[in-house]
Amino acid sequence: MIKQENIRNFSIIAHIDHGKSTLADRILEITNAVSLHDSKNQMLDSMDIERERGITIKLNAVELNYHYNNEDYILNLIDTPGHVDFSYEVSRSLAATEGAILVVDAAQGIEAQTLANLFLALDNNLKIIPVINKIDLPNADVDKVTKELVDTFGFNEDEIILTSAKNGVGIQELVEAIIERIPSPKGSINNPTQGLIFDSLYDSYKGAIIMLRLMNGEIKAGDKIKLMSTNAIYDVTEVGVYTPNIKKKDKLVCGETGYLWGSIKSVSDVQVGDTVTVIGKEATSMLPGYKPMKQVVFAGIYPTETNKYNELRDALEKLKLNDASLSFEPETSHALGFGFRCGFLGLLHMEIVEERVMREFKIDLIATSPSVIYDVKLTNGENIMIDSPQKMPDRVNIASISEPYIKTNIFTPSEYIGSIMELCQNKRGNYLNLEYIDSKRVIIHYELPLSEIVYDFFDKLKSSTKGYASFDYELIGYKENDLVKMDILLNGEIIDALSTIVHKDFAYQRGKVVVENLKKLIPRQMFVVPVQAAIGSKIIARADIKALRKDVLAKCYGGDVSRKKKLLEKQKEGKKRMKNLGSVVVPQEAFLTVLSNEEISDN
Amino acid sequence: MTTSVYIHLPFCEHICTYCDFCKMFYNEELCSKYLDSLEIEIKNNYQGEKIKTLYIGGGTPSSLSIDNLKKLMKIIKIFQIDKDYEFTFEVNPENITKEKLLLLKENGVNRISMGVESTSLKHLKYLGRFHDFKLVKEKIKLIKELGFSNINVDLIYALPHETINDLKKDLDNLLSLDINHISTYSLEIHNNTILGIKKEKNISEELDREMYEVITNTLKNNGFQHYEISNFGKDNYYSRHNLVYWHNEEYYGFGLGASGYYNNIRYDNTKSINSYLNGRYILSKEILSKKDKISYELILGLRLTKGINKQDFFNKYHEDIEGLYNIKELIDKEYLILDNEYLKVNEKYLYVENNILENFID
Repeated sequence: MIKQENIRNFSIIAHIDHGKSTLADRILEITNAVSLHDSKNQMLDSMDIERERGITIKLNAVELNYHYNNEDYILNLIDTPGHVDFSYEVSRSLAATEGAILVVDAAQGIEAQTLANLFLALDNNLKIIPVINKIDLPNADVDKVTKELVDTFGFNEDEIILTSAKNGVGIQELVEAIIERIPSPKGSINNPTQGLIFDSLYDSYKGAIIMLRLMNGEIKAGDKIKLMSTNAIYDVTEVGVYTPNIKKKDKLVCGETGYLWGSIKSVSDVQVGDTVTVIGKEATSMLPGYKPMKQVVFAGIYPTETNKYNELRDALEKLKLNDASLSFEPETSHALGFGFRCGFLGLLHMEIVEERVMREFKIDLIATSPSVIYDVKLTNGENIMIDSPQKMPDRVNIASISEPYIKTNIFTPSEYIGSIMELCQNKRGNYLNLEYIDSKRVIIHYELPLSEIVYDFFDKLKSSTKGYASFDYELIGYKENDLVKMDILLNGEIIDALSTIVHKDFAYQRGKVVVENLKKLIPRQMFVVPVQAAIGSKIIARADIKALRKDVLAKCYGGDVSRKKKLLEKQKEGKKRMKNLGSVVVPQEAFLTVLSNEEISDN
Repeated sequence: MTTSVYIHLPFCEHICTYCDFCKMFYNEELCSKYLDSLEIEIKNNYQGEKIKTLYIGGGTPSSLSIDNLKKLMKIIKIFQIDKDYEFTFEVNPENITKEKLLLLKENGVNRISMGVESTSLKHLKYLGRFHDFKLVKEKIKLIKELGFSNINVDLIYALPHETINDLKKDLDNLLSLDINHISTYSLEIHNNTILGIKKEKNISEELDREMYEVITNTLKNNGFQHYEISNFGKDNYYSRHNLVYWHNEEYYGFGLGASGYYNNIRYDNTKSINSYLNGRYILSKEILSKKDKISYELILGLRLTKGINKQDFFNKYHEDIEGLYNIKELIDKEYLILDNEYLKVNEKYLYVENNILENFID
């Protein structure tokens, strides 16, 4: 067995696209975990969607072997998700390590995401190894990025390792720096067992698989374990590590990182950040830092075809097996029928779930516009939490409404300060302050209502800064605001799924934009369709969709009748992605557009 | 019993800017080979039925040389023709001649369909046509003199920049020809056409609809019946051949890119001239179930202003038409109208009937 002082647990911190996955692949190759020949690019990202979006959603851990100075070392690489929706998971996987590699793109320099995760790493007292990657790029500016790293974080120039993961440059130096600089794990095999859960996976044969780091003691097959947040007890069937292939082991001991599985049925029984202990060698306290999962964005998800409700439920149940952060409960809408109110960690998480349902389960969906949780004080003194505009009580019964706020860290070149402030102002933001990183880069802090960023804030930020600004946020609590529910009527009928909560001062403007956008998005029907926005019984905006006046009348020339039928089939197929709301056919996009405060263009 | 034949001749002297049918430039030798292959196709498939309607379309059938036209007419002799028949031949004003017309007459053609399309020189140029209205008048006169009394002209409307007045002028001109059938088509811009490549845009829905109403009213006031969405004919001069399509009856389709309906199978021929010349005629087949046939019956029959005869429908399918699909609901919404004899589209919605017909697709 390997000595505890020869174990290194580390992770990689990087902004999206700065080359984390490629760097991980090169490290895997140099430690012979995978041969160049059969390595699919980017071993660690296992889901298609992750690969397509170039982001890592699920965490993974890999045990690597390296021989150095006549000693055998075990290096455990713990991967982290790269998106702000998953920052709690990032903090837990960082807590499972003693050090982190900070990867910065040689052309783009430091970005907000990098900063946010770096702060998490520093909070966990990790040893940081700064790496400038992609030095092979023609527009790489190593001197400038070096200066940034030195000025911003106080690294010494000679600490910085230069790599080109693409070309394999600097990888050996980096691996040896991991051994030299990152401390070996503390704790003792003789202490009561404490394992930190940093991820869980679902396997249809094994059930939930826990990924954990042993901080003290040991766990072996046959042990009875207890998850300390819930006091639930399970039997352990197997322990082991990923290399990245599964390697069964007799036991996992203090300092090691690996997996265990046993009688745990679902990943929703496993909470990231929880502590695993062993009955018989039971710990008295949990490891620090545990927080229960919290969804912040909610949306209604409905099958386009109403008879797919049961299939949708099965799909969500299956997804929940390996995504503990997803929540759902049945919901009914007059307009959309039976569906589910789903809770997500953030917008990206929501998109991923919707996409997986459509792609893996082949169910067409209508998703309502996402909502946050409102804290509603009633006139009778009661307080209720509302996660959907449809559930908002009658106005006469409401004393006040509070909404969740976030604090932003917007990292940007200084020339975009003006446009970013304008954007935040339009999103009902309160300016907090501005921090200069260096002469050309700043971090802008704003307080913004969470509801204002769930729709298009990120896209707007990117477009108003030519893609240079990056952004993350933390929830800071609730604030009372003058909020009202705005209803949308199509052909005189309120369409519940299109209702939104808006600030009273912005309601008229928003109402006008929404009806104009719906007018553009909803195809002409056989009759004139009035689109109205209303607050209570008061109509605040109206636009009419003109009646259809003309069809494409394929000629059926020379008896080419199948062509006519194909045209009708195509037309019908197009409407499949739309929903009949009362007498009006409405496309999917309509449900998101109610959150926009900008008119969409005509084409 | 199949009693109709469509024959496609894909040759043209010019390619029109809007045309997305199966066509190619005329070439004497290629056309001759094509006719050889056509003859084989007909001989292999024609089962000897008495033919009541025969339609030769294109392309531009009148672009054939007199030699190839003779060769074609010899092939036509394969068919047994019923005493009461309609035989249509499509012509273009610029290449139909007295000699060709005489040949057609001799061989039994009794209906001429002329691609007039527009009477404005500006619009004809836009469409890529090389005639003018003066030539149209001369050729129609000639056609009549040679004894053809059943004449159709095609009109294309809703061209970019076309005004209601332009259209009225076109209609007046066409009416002055004193013919008995007019087919009208709102210009469709397809991607694979010259107009499509130039990214030309259609006129507004509103103006298009207004034009359709001008056409309908003008022609009705001048003794034409509006018997199908885009077809107008005087009494006894409806296109019998096209009615076969709308009545969902079977017909042979021969030639490159032709479509046919025979023995419960709808088929499309290849659009590749090489395949066709090498005897690989059929590209795809759709074997129709009863449900498919009903679907076609509705999609096609409801193009007719008269609609679908309830009793005929029942005799054909042993089902009551009003019990099918959501027809009852569509009647309630007044999109469809059902009387004692016929189920038809409410005239108000005829021009947007795709939205009704899509209900009959599975």
